[in-house]
Amino acid sequence: MIRHEQVSGISTDKHESCNLLSRSGRSLQKLLPALTLAFALSACTTTEIDEFRQTATSISGDESIVILGRRQNNDYETEGNFIECVGSVVGSGDDGITVVPEKDFLNAMFPFFEPRTAPMRTGHLKQLMDIDIARQRIADFGIEYIVWVDGTTLRGETAGSVSCTIGPGGGGCFGFGTWVDDSNFDAEIWDMDTLDLAGSISTDANGQSYMPAVVVPIPLIARVEANACSGLGSQLKNFINGS
Amino acid sequence: MRQVIRKKHAGTGHDTGSSPVTTRRSSLLPGSLAVSCVAVLCVVALSGCAARAITISASYPTPLVAKLPLTVGVYYPEALREFSYTEIDDSSGKDQYIIASGASQIALFNTILPVMFDEVIELDGPSTDNPQVDAIFVPDVEEFQLGLPQKTKLSVFEIWLKYNMRLTQPNGDYIADWVMTAYGKAPTATFQSVDIGVQNAAEVAMRDVAASFTLGFTEVPDIKDWLQKNGPTP
Repeated sequence: MIRHEQVSGISTDKHESCNLLSRSGRSLQKLLPALTLAFALSACTTTEIDEFRQTATSISGDESIVILGRRQNNDYETEGNFIECVGSVVGSGDDGITVVPEKDFLNAMFPFFEPRTAPMRTGHLKQLMDIDIARQRIADFGIEYIVWVDGTTLRGETAGSVSCTIGPGGGGCFGFGTWVDDSNFDAEIWDMDTLDLAGSISTDANGQSYMPAVVVPIPLIARVEANACSGLGSQLKNFINGS
Repeated sequence: MRQVIRKKHAGTGHDTGSSPVTTRRSSLLPGSLAVSCVAVLCVVALSGCAARAITISASYPTPLVAKLPLTVGVYYPEALREFSYTEIDDSSGKDQYIIASGASQIALFNTILPVMFDEVIELDGPSTDNPQVDAIFVPDVEEFQLGLPQKTKLSVFEIWLKYNMRLTQPNGDYIADWVMTAYGKAPTATFQSVDIGVQNAAEVAMRDVAASFTLGFTEVPDIKDWLQKNGPTP
């Protein structure tokens, strides 16, 4: 199900996807068709993407962007794997954009983009660009946009239990477990020409996973973070391409 | 401009001469097999009680800073060279992890100092007779704290460091003495060992030290005054 709304610079996409034809789902169909259908239908992910655009954007073939994770929060930090995932989505396809790897950029710009020293607002970015050596290094990369991603995936509503036993005659598991994953990621896009905010995209994905176990545990995992990644990456690519 | 770090005196190498080793051939007879099994079981059981040693090793990027036209002597105290932190198990009261970070800290300063100053000379002692340098820098670790996810209930490994930095004249007179703190954290991951989590958090903390030091060095009030009065300007 896809819903698209657009009201004066703010647009919202809502997308629901299910793991009905996942590999684990197919395995379960062979064993317990009715159970598969019931659970596979339920192991869905809902992804909602909000976009706010402040200025028009575009990028040419010789320009690039960098996607950086915010790591200032005390109790979590935006995972490097998620940043890599978003980068690979943005860089893929015919309309793919050149993405400078986060680690390469952080090392080349050291010590200006460390958790303690990174610019938090575009005002700080302007101050940073007053430093010749930093401005020159950014120009060397050909970076047109800096994208800051901040967020994490939380697991909650965990219920049920699965117990497994091994004996001389064999082993097996029995039980049922379920949990809910909730991914919230916000991306801010900074325009390096104007040194101002070009827009922002927020992604909220959630889904319930199930783990029924009748002799063999069969995970029906809702791909929450993967959907958040692909949703954010696709939206980001369209945003920067100006489409 | 030179990026030189050289030692004032040649280091004293340790003689690693071979020690006599006695070898004995043994055949695994049923009796000795049982003894061997018991010995292996004892080793396995005892290894479960031993503290886990983690040696921090990381590489650091070259900082993007303007070089100060100074020749600086650096002395690494023994306490910094051999620095290690022991985490105690709350329930048993025994050593749980021993984290050795001395070598990594030296590597960090050896990376950033030659980029910050025209020339860096590593000194073998806190001598007060160094006419060839403009100033002597002595870093030291005062505190080290570790936050393990199983104790903090957070999904991150955390490391907090407190340094005492000292800068003196070549004759040992005071220029500046200041405290610097550093913090690093790394997220937990499925099937990730404590070693990796601690290594990642330590690398972030060390980068934090380097970032604060390189960007804040000339902002330390006493150093600022000294540079204005005596030292060359960048």
